[in-house]
Amino acid sequence: MLRDTYLVAKHELLVTARNPFWIVFGLFQPIVYLLLFAPFLKGVASTPGFPGGDSIQFFAPGLLIMNAMFNAGFAGFGIIEKMRSGFLERLRVTPISRVALVLGLVLVSTTEVILQSVLLVVVSLFFGLTVTMAGIALLLVLLVLVAIAMASASFSLALIVKDEGILAGVTNFFQLPLLLLSGVLLPIAFAPALIRALSALDPFRYAADAARDLIVGGSDGASVTTAFPLFVILAAIALGWFVRMIREAVA
Amino acid sequence: MSEPILVATGLRKTFRAARGNPAVEALRGVDLTVATGEVFGLLGPNGAGKTTAMRILCTLLIPSAGSARIAGFDLVREQAQVRQRIGYVGQKGGMEGVATGRENLILQARLYGMSRAAAAVRVDELIDRLKLAEFAGRKTQTYSGGQRRIFDLASGIIHKPPLLFLDEPTTGLDPASRARVWDEVRRLNAEGATVFLTTHYLEEADALCGHVAIVDKGAVAALGTPADLKATVGGDTIVLGFASEAAAKAAAAAVVGSPFGAKMQTHEQTVRLYVHRGEEVLPAVLQFLNAKQLEIATVTLARPSLDEVFLKLTGRSLTSEPQVGS
Repeated sequence: MLRDTYLVAKHELLVTARNPFWIVFGLFQPIVYLLLFAPFLKGVASTPGFPGGDSIQFFAPGLLIMNAMFNAGFAGFGIIEKMRSGFLERLRVTPISRVALVLGLVLVSTTEVILQSVLLVVVSLFFGLTVTMAGIALLLVLLVLVAIAMASASFSLALIVKDEGILAGVTNFFQLPLLLLSGVLLPIAFAPALIRALSALDPFRYAADAARDLIVGGSDGASVTTAFPLFVILAAIALGWFVRMIREAVA
Repeated sequence: MSEPILVATGLRKTFRAARGNPAVEALRGVDLTVATGEVFGLLGPNGAGKTTAMRILCTLLIPSAGSARIAGFDLVREQAQVRQRIGYVGQKGGMEGVATGRENLILQARLYGMSRAAAAVRVDELIDRLKLAEFAGRKTQTYSGGQRRIFDLASGIIHKPPLLFLDEPTTGLDPASRARVWDEVRRLNAEGATVFLTTHYLEEADALCGHVAIVDKGAVAALGTPADLKATVGGDTIVLGFASEAAAKAAAAAVVGSPFGAKMQTHEQTVRLYVHRGEEVLPAVLQFLNAKQLEIATVTLARPSLDEVFLKLTGRSLTSEPQVGS
């Protein structure tokens, strides 16, 4: 099974790496956000209610979570083309395990997210981000979990709707509220009570909190011990959903 | 005779439809037996259920009811064993466009368990056999339809499967490419592979298949060798064309009691008479209609064909069926 996972992932990476647009727009897109947004935050950081310290310490972890959410969350678009070209069908008639097929595809989305994340962290260091090795390592693990959950959900959804236009609509419908409620862009402490209550239902709220605690350090770690089990469960559920969809799929 | 390579019993497939619509019964109990070493054809118009049947037999869809054994393994419970023993070339082929033909084939070989070295040897062998060397290093998105089809075929036989499924292998191909696919199917079959194909081209079934199942509305309407099926039509067909449907009806009414009206069918502006020794009967028919003052617009003497079989079974013509997606 590991071998088949590797074969599928290797093929997908080869295909991705051949696309120059991906390298420019995929890999560097989060950097653009950072360059545009970080200077602007400098002024905001002095606002009352904003957590102390440099704004980059607040903003970079949020950007990492957002990037994982959005990039993995668009993974499904690729599989619709694979369905249309018959490539998915060709993989599905081979004797490889369905789990290997699913893991291979998810692994590639996850790898992309990790590459982007590492790049983002490196660039953020120039903006004054300070990190510990342990903190960054744990944060990358959290980002992997977020990416697995989002990519699997996006793939499954794509296999249901089978159309890029509909998938875009459904994805935006869920992603934007989840992003706004997560406090990735602005501290949720700024928000009125209703929004704060709603944000407690948003799993990405916990991911964003944990990401900040892992960068800033010094907290009691409650956010981290909440976010990790939560995203292990979400990733497992989403993976299971994707495996089921691939098994039963879909004209 | 060895065991049949494929035995399917009572295959049914019902697709759930959107709310308020009735579920779609794509297959309503299909029984099929494919002998080891033959070329077997599923013939039918678009939407008859051919592709659904094939997708079930290739483990891509799970049947709602019924069972099948392929190469001795249960289709649903022993999927992995079945998959190892079948090759499948879908209508869409499934080549990755930005990868080269060779890379696509290597991936396929590796997914069937071959080592890196064994995969390279096998792919080179196929590239050589199918004369693909010229294109193998190019991205498949640059291929013509015919070139792509041959690569699709190569990917289906990469692991030398005893049973090869081809879903409408020549649809949309130019005549030269079609001939090339036919030659390759014949060669594979001569080397011992059993081939199971779907087609809506009668001449394809006639040219390639040892046995043909005619599928209509999710069920097998007739099954036999092309010769057997043609024999059920009962000799030749005299196709009489009239200027209007009314004229055709009048002629049919006149012919019913005549010596050559025993087996006949009226369809829009044409009347078909199923007769023996059509070339001898035809002059008498023309004289008879002339005497009754019935004006004939066109006359064709059709030798037995699968088209005639299909028309006789279903009352519809296979070739005049509108081309809708299946």
